[in-house]
Amino acid sequence: MTEHVLEPDENRRGFINWLLGTSAVAFALSVFYPVASYLVPPTVGESTAGTVTLPIKPDDVKPNTGEIFKFGSRPGILIRTAGGDLRAFSAVCTHLNCTVQYRSDLSQIWCACHNGHYDLNGKNVAGPPPRPLDTFVVNVRGTQIVVSKSA
Amino acid sequence: MIGLGLAGALLLAGAVWAGPAQAQPADACAACHLETGDERLAAPARTFDGDIHKAKGFGCVDCHGGDSRQTGMEAMDPRKGFIGKPSHQQVIQVCGRCHSDAGFMKRYNPSLRVDQVAEFATSVHGRRLRELGDPKVATCASCHPAHGIRPRSDPKSSVHPLHVADTCGGCHADAKYMAGYKIPTDQLEKYKTSIHWAAMTTKGDLSAPTCNGCHGNHGAVPPGVGWVGNVCGQCHTVQADLFKSSVHVKAFTDLGTPGCATCHENHAIHAPGDFMLGLGDKAVCTNCHGPDDKGGKSAVEMRALIDSLRVESDKAGALLQRAERAGMEVSQAEFDLNGARDDLIKARAAVHSFRIDAVKQAVDSGLAVSAKAHGRGIRALGELGFRRKGLAVSLVVIVALIVGLVLKIRQVERRAAVRSRAGEAPHD
Repeated sequence: MTEHVLEPDENRRGFINWLLGTSAVAFALSVFYPVASYLVPPTVGESTAGTVTLPIKPDDVKPNTGEIFKFGSRPGILIRTAGGDLRAFSAVCTHLNCTVQYRSDLSQIWCACHNGHYDLNGKNVAGPPPRPLDTFVVNVRGTQIVVSKSA
Repeated sequence: MIGLGLAGALLLAGAVWAGPAQAQPADACAACHLETGDERLAAPARTFDGDIHKAKGFGCVDCHGGDSRQTGMEAMDPRKGFIGKPSHQQVIQVCGRCHSDAGFMKRYNPSLRVDQVAEFATSVHGRRLRELGDPKVATCASCHPAHGIRPRSDPKSSVHPLHVADTCGGCHADAKYMAGYKIPTDQLEKYKTSIHWAAMTTKGDLSAPTCNGCHGNHGAVPPGVGWVGNVCGQCHTVQADLFKSSVHVKAFTDLGTPGCATCHENHAIHAPGDFMLGLGDKAVCTNCHGPDDKGGKSAVEMRALIDSLRVESDKAGALLQRAERAGMEVSQAEFDLNGARDDLIKARAAVHSFRIDAVKQAVDSGLAVSAKAHGRGIRALGELGFRRKGLAVSLVVIVALIVGLVLKIRQVERRAAVRSRAGEAPHD
């Protein structure tokens, strides 16, 4: 029986095959890992978005009017008081979560569902709402209105 | 004996405080009473330290008369207006002397009402005191404990919103004390199971009604059958307005049952729900209506309308949530779906008109919003499915490419090996 002696070429081939095999496994992992990650939907927690730039220009909001805007999937309300101040609040009524609106005739924020009234500081002043509306911070940057949740 | 003991103690205290009038404390009554050693006499003087009247500069003589600059029994001379402990009837006059004087009260609290005595005269308590001389009825000091009166805003006050129920319940929940009045004594127990009490205690909403919110405070009476709706309507304005124009006003008046309380109870007012409507097990409509009468049929139809909107809006909401969790952007659709939830709440309020068309109007509006949101959810999930299928196809292509490459490499290696063996053969 003849003893098989490894030639230098065979050593090189073995090394290259090992290298190629390892690379192939790494390649497969790099392809399948993101694919698997994509196929399993991520768990989405509560939105932490704290700021929104409104699709409304400051000049478009006339005194003693209000506009509903989208803050994530919940409504907010932007108000320009008769004095010219811009104020923003959550538009979710604190009674049963209806969307509130601005009443120019009363200069108040009003909920149509159960006739709840809030003043221009968001404070509940009449009807069943148990607490004030959440207040947002309004910043005007040039022609943009940026609304943020209070710190 | 007690009188002699008191006199002796006061004389002794007077001796202690003997001296020039101007050197004595402004209110010597408290000093003597604290020295007597008799807790019945000392307690009022001690408690008075936390009383708002003391904080405003009033003293014992302002209610009890007498002369606080004197010591001993001379301070308690009836000729100097001393009345001792005011009788049940006297309490009203003593308190009213200042509290009914608008000019005087302005100096201390310009916005404080000055009609308490007039209000009290209209109350069941006031009428029984005036007409029957009933010594057990509540007067000022029953609710505002003498010597320890605190403003309503003070959390220690007996008339702070959180304490009113227990203050009233001090008598009204005492079956022994209330024996003979022929009224229930379970109001406090029932009230503490109500949504109003829960709103006050768990949500911290001090504007939620307690006893005085519905009965009045100084003019406390049970709301009349015909005006219960007005009382509840102070806060629940929409429902009260709808109810006023409903067929139930006359029906309840004829039956002699109170408006809102007929369905919602009076003291044990629990969270309302859709279960109350219709002819189900817990439905309140069944108290008067059956499946064969017009009212019963209307109730069933209104319930079906509301259920349909609730189910459709929930379905659309669940679909959008699935899409959102899968990474799709559906916030606009979720935002718009809030409108359906508003309509559901409006439909529930519209039930108080007991008109199917009013409920249907709100429900139809909500169903349209829900259907639109549901369609957007379907489209979002459809797009997600399309993307997943596309990904699967691309994966198949990638895998096929890899397999092909591997096979090709093997083929190349096999050929190389054959060539190599062919080249080595002559040497064997």
